[in-house]
Formats: sequence, C-alpha cells, structure tokens
Amino acid sequence: MTILYDEQQQAIADEAGRILAARTSGERLKQLLETTGAHDEAFWETCKEQGWTGIGIPEEDGGIGLGLIELGLVAEAIGAVAAGAPFLGTGFGAAQAILAHGDAETRAAWLPKLASGEAIGAIAFAEGADMIPAAPALRLTNGRLSGVKPAVAGGASADVAIVLASGEHGPVLALVALKQDGVSAQAFETFDNSRCTADLTFDGADAVTLGAADAAQAALDILSLQAVVTAHEQVGGASKMMNTARDYALTRQAFGQVIGGFQSVKHRIAEDYVLVELARANALQAAASQGTEAFARNAAAARLSATEAYDTVSRDSTQVHGGIGVTWESDLHLHQRRARSLAIEQGPTPFWEDILVDLLAGEPA
Amino acid sequence: MSPEIEAYRDTARTWVESQIAEFGRDARKGLSEADDLALGRRWQAAKQAAGYSAISWPKDHGGQGLTLLHRLAFEQEEIKHGFPNDYFGVSLGMPVPIVLRHQPGDWTRARAEAALRGDEIWCQLFSEPSGGSDLAGLRTSAKLDEASGDWIVNGQKLWTTWAQYSDYGVIVVRTDPSAQKHKGLTYFWVDMKAPGVTVRPVRLAEGRSEVNEVFFDDVRIPDSQRLGAVGGGFGVAMETLTIERYQATDPAGFGPPLQLFIDETKATQIKGKPAIEDGRVRERIARTYAMQSAMAAIYQRTLLSLAAGLQPGPEGAVHKLVSVRARQKLSEYAMDLQGVNGLRYDEELSRKESWAKSWMTAPTGRIAGGADEMLLNTIAEKILGLPQDHRPDKGVPFNQIPR
Ligand SMILES: Cc1cc2nc3c(=O)[nH]c(=O)nc-3n(C[C@H](O)[C@H](O)[C@H](O)COP(=O)(O)OP(=O)(O)OC[C@H]3O[C@@H](n4cnc5c(N)ncnc54)[C@H](O)[C@@H]3O)c2cc1C
Repeated sequence: MTILYDEQQQAIADEAGRILAARTSGERLKQLLETTGAHDEAFWETCKEQGWTGIGIPEEDGGIGLGLIELGLVAEAIGAVAAGAPFLGTGFGAAQAILAHGDAETRAAWLPKLASGEAIGAIAFAEGADMIPAAPALRLTNGRLSGVKPAVAGGASADVAIVLASGEHGPVLALVALKQDGVSAQAFETFDNSRCTADLTFDGADAVTLGAADAAQAALDILSLQAVVTAHEQVGGASKMMNTARDYALTRQAFGQVIGGFQSVKHRIAEDYVLVELARANALQAAASQGTEAFARNAAAARLSATEAYDTVSRDSTQVHGGIGVTWESDLHLHQRRARSLAIEQGPTPFWEDILVDLLAGEPA
Repeated sequence: MSPEIEAYRDTARTWVESQIAEFGRDARKGLSEADDLALGRRWQAAKQAAGYSAISWPKDHGGQGLTLLHRLAFEQEEIKHGFPNDYFGVSLGMPVPIVLRHQPGDWTRARAEAALRGDEIWCQLFSEPSGGSDLAGLRTSAKLDEASGDWIVNGQKLWTTWAQYSDYGVIVVRTDPSAQKHKGLTYFWVDMKAPGVTVRPVRLAEGRSEVNEVFFDDVRIPDSQRLGAVGGGFGVAMETLTIERYQATDPAGFGPPLQLFIDETKATQIKGKPAIEDGRVRERIARTYAMQSAMAAIYQRTLLSLAAGLQPGPEGAVHKLVSVRARQKLSEYAMDLQGVNGLRYDEELSRKESWAKSWMTAPTGRIAGGADEMLLNTIAEKILGLPQDHRPDKGVPFNQIPR
C-alpha cells in the first residue's frame, strides 16, 4: 500500500481536472438547479468517453480495472467543479455490489453496461434516517419487491438499483432493474437538483437476490467503498472553495488593503487549509487500504473528515466573499449545496461516527 | 416588565392573533411576490388603522407616541406569525425616521404617512461594489452644478434591499474626492423615479431577489434634499444605522425554534433508538438552549434598562453574531438527523419552519447588516478598547489611496 501517487495516477488526475474544467459551465449547473430529475448530459458523456465509468470494474467484466485510488482522483476533479450528475459514484457502488455478490449471469447482464455507462446504477439501502435498516420496510417476496425506498441519489435516471429489503428470512440484498412495470421513480425537489434524487416505489417488481450471507454487513461494505469515492469528491470541492476564498482575499480591498491582510480572514482560510489537508490524507489512506483489515475504519474516518471539511470550507468561503458570496451569480452556492447533499447521501456524520466507534470498540456495527 | 407594558402586550397579542387568518404565514403560501407585496401593503394599513404602526414615533411624526418598550412588546408578538412585513422593515426602520428627524415638515409628514400605510416604500442606498464593510470606501460621486445649485450624481449602489419597489431612498455619495475618505461624503434623499435612476434586481443564492443594483446616470438631486452638512454624510449614515439599534430579536437567529429540533429528535431514530436519547443530540439541545436563554436574558436586561431610563450595556452587540452562526450549524445538524429525507427542499416553507431553508439562507444573515468579522471588530475595538488593524488609508485623501 502506498499513499503517494505514481506518475500514471498523477496523469489521470491532471487530465480529469483539465477536461472537466473545460467542459463544465456554472450557467448550465445553475439551470439544472431549477428543474428536478435532470442532469448534465455533457458531464455524463465525458465520464463515459474517458472510461471513468469502467474504473474499479475488471477488464473481463468490461471495465478498465484500476481501483479506488484512481477513481478517487477522478472524483476529486469532479468535486472541484461540483459536476452535474451523481452517476459515477452511484454506479460504482452498484457495480461493486454485483462484483461481490452477483452470480455469473447477473455479472454478465449488468457489469459491461455499467462499465460503459450504458446503464446507470444506484444504491437504495436507506429508509429515512436509517442508512442500513435492520428490518427494511421494503419487502422481497417470491422474487418480487414491494414498498418504497425514499430519496435515492441518481434514482430519477437509474436503470438498475441495489436494494436492501426484508426477505423471508431477514434482510437481503437484491438487484432490481428499474425500467420495468412495477417500478416508478418520483423525482422531487432538493436543494441540489442535479443529484436526480427520487423516491423509488416498487409494486411487485422483479428482483434478483444477491448472494450476500450477511446483507447488513454487505451493505455497509458497499457504502464504505462508495464513501471513499465521495470523500474524494468532497475533498475536491472543499479544496476548490478554499482556493477560491484565498484568491478573493488576495484581490478584494477594504480599509485600504486586501482583506487577506486581516488576520481574521487569513486565519479562517488557513484553518480551512488544515481541514482540507486532513481530509485529503484520510481519503487517500482509505483508498490505498482497500482490501485490508483497516479499510472499514479508514473509510469511516475519511468520510467524517471530508464532510467536516466541505461543509466548513463552503461556509467560510461564502463568508469571506461578503455579499458577493450569497448571490446566485457567484457559483459558491453550487458548492454550498453540494457540500450538504454529499454530507447526507450515503450517511450523515452521526451515522459514520457510530460506525467508526463500533469498529474501534470491537462491537458489531 | 411593568404591568402597563404587559397589559399592552396582552391587548396587542389578541389583536395580532385575530389577523393571522388574513395575513399570517399560511395566508402567504403560494402567493406571487406581487400579490405578497399587495398583501403586505394591506397588512401595513391594517396595523396603521389599529394603532400598531410607528408605535414609538412621536405623535407629530405620525406615530403613537408610546415608548420603545411598547413597540418591542408588539414586535415580539408580531414576529411569531410570519406576517408580510419584510418589504417595510428597511423603509420604516431607517430612511423614513432619519428624514423626519432632519427635515420635519408637511411634505415629509405626508411621505411618512404614506410609508406607514404601506403605500410608499423607502430604501437605503449606502453599500456599493467598493464600499460594503468599508462603507466610507464608496465611490458614487455628486458634483455641484453651480448654475442650478443641484447635485449631479453618477455611480452605482449595490445590495439595495427592495429598491425595485421603492419610491424614495436615502443615499450617501462622495462630494469631495480630495478629502479623507470619511470626510468627503454627503447624505441626501433621492426620488427613485427620477430620470437616470435604473434598478436591476440581483438574484440571491437562495433564489429570491430582494436586493438590487442601482445605477445613477447624471441624476439631479436638489440641494434641498440634503440631510446634514456637505461633507457630513458619514455621520448621518452612522446616525441612520443606530436608529434601529434596539429591535425585536430572536434567540433562534430567525431560524426554526429549538422546540422544532426537540420534536423532530423524538420522532427520528439513531441506531434504533429515538434520536433524543442520543448523547450527541442531547448535548446539542442543552448547549443550544443555554445559548438561546442567555440571548433572551441579555435582551430582557436591555429592556429593563430602557424601562428604567438607563443606557443598556453594549452586550446586545453579540445577538446577530451568535444567534445566526448557531442557527447555521444547528440547521445542518437537523438536516443530518433526517437522513436521506434531509435532502428534500420545499420552496414554500419559511426559514422558521424548514431546516433546509434556514440553512440555505443563513449565510446571508451572517453578512447583511454587518458581517460577523465587523461585529467582532466592534466588540474588540469599541467595547474592549483593543487597537484597530493597521489601516493604510487612514488620513490619506481619498483620491490618493492606492488601489
Ligand atoms: C441580503 C443583503 C441585503 C442588504 N441590504 C442592504 C441595503 O438595503 N442597503 C445597503 O446599503 N447595504 C445592504 N447590504 C450590504 C451589506 O451591508 C454588505 O454586504 C456588508 O456590509 C458586507 O460588505 P461587502 O458585501 O462589500 O463585503 P466586504 O466588505 O467585501 O467583506 C468581505 C469579507 O471581508 C471581511 N472584512 C472586511 N473588512 C474587514 C476587517 N476590517 N477585518 C476583518 N474582516 C474584514 C468581511 O467580514 C467579509 O468576510 C445588504 C447585503 C445583503 C447580503
């Protein structure tokens, strides 16, 4: 395990940053805020064209191999531009569930499509405040799903979802194709609409049970993988906001000097730098420890630091900008919003605190 | 509080509650801004008719001639119900009183009455792109036209709340760029419908457009519209800002009440138990309560001082700083506790009903009316006597400040 990027990884990061900066428009992202269930098609096309959808999926399953470190780097670049679709992360989670627990037929049916981006994947475990419900209200009976999964990120557009449901003998993980009768996706207004968040309602939909012996543990493992990708995305957003504040503090004048000369402004940005670097270190450490015993707790720690960093830095960056920071025109609120949506999807801070403490105390999650 | 004030409050409460159906939060749901403004004008007129507007203004200014305590008692009742008074807060809070004070007379009296009925609105044109926290850094210029004696104004104001609906405004402009920055400013009232005034709404991050940029293109202001001396504008601006020093406050920072948080934590779960049983949640509640009760106590002490005819202490300065910052973080936490349902956003809900709305609008509260950092500077410098930051523009003629 290494926590230094090699040349090839650095090249992925640079290329992703360059291409996303060129293809992202704040105007388009703001238009997306005003519709529900729509995403930035140019961004999603870029993910497919660049092969990012295939990262983390083996070549024999149609992917390009590589792992969490590489996907993390791409996610960081995505976070920096607050890109207009959640599908890369949600699709990765779905693919990892299939890789870990799907049979040959399921793998063949879905992995190549997820790897190419032809299919959009989503994860639907949570029910309200419960990220991994012990007794899900969603029921799987004789291969048919009934019930609701609320507020599923990417749910408005996804083709396939991995759900946590109550089977005949307790919780199970199941795969359900979403473009079938018996499934309806109801997109609703959030404060960050390009996340394509939707309530998924199942009414006797066909589903395939995945072979996870302990479904709750399997769900947590998948969430942990996804959390590391998201942590990188949060680091990308936080870092961008920190640098935006720095740049503004170097140019904005008040009382005859640049505001960065006021210690209260300077120290605020310096504190933000500290948060970003702690989060970055934890995110990479977690990615590099995939497959080791330390992974679960590294993932939880990465998620906690990243959420704190992005929430705090987006708050602070807005504050440093004064009135300009709270205008629609400035793109800061895209990050203010994204900081919160990423903080909540895949589990808010109290959830990961509990996971981490259980791991450290040696108790079952 | 004195029995007299309490009796006044009781009567006010009864009247306020009788108005909720017609003007309260629910009556406003779904209204367009134009309709909401129209409702607001009717609300002003209703208050005026019932003797509840300009409670603490002198009678010869069109007020009720009662004390600040009466007014605060009424406002504390009014604030609870989400009445459409947003559009008149600035207007009646600062511009109209300052003009009444400096230019009493029939014309002003008629304007004040129209403003109290909600028929006319005034705005406050202080801030500019280059003068926000540093108000005296403003650049909009006024040059005296010797022939007519009028002032010709050119430049741009920014962040002017409700300028788009305003009939008049008060404005600070630079009349002498060769003087030191505080000394070259002069204060006027201005007709917002005058030729050369252009108002453009600025959309805020939360979606609404209550602030504007206002452009002045050779706008003619007669010298008779001047308040205070030529070169004395900064002082009149400061005087304007202190008129509203004692406002009805809200320990919840104009966000949802703590009780809403408590109720929600009883209804949501963490690890299979009610969230209210979770140590982290309990700590939040306890600490938020302690902070809010201190805010309320400081406010109560201010009221008692005023009632006793004493000058309240400076500690009231902590109000906005502490309560809005706390509201921002509590709102984030409340969203977290809702889990994935915390993503939902209902545009129709107010910032006192919805944590997401409260969180979305909190950054504005930390900047408008004095940024947190400026409030901290005030505490440090004015209350504690600590030195100012180094200010390279001090004592330098405005037009020689390097930029
Ligand atoms: C919703 C809204 C409504 C408003 N309504 C009105 C209105 O009706 N009329 C009007 O005239 N104005 C209005 N304002 C303007 C408001 O007063 C200014 O936005 C505010 O004073 C901050 O100025 P600024 O935006 O230029 O920020 P800046 O002054 O540029 O501040 C940028 C950052 O630098 C910091 N900073 C500046 N100086 C110092 C210092 N000495 N020490 C430490 N930190 C410092 C600030 O705290 C802030 O974090 C409104 C603003 C908003 C957001």
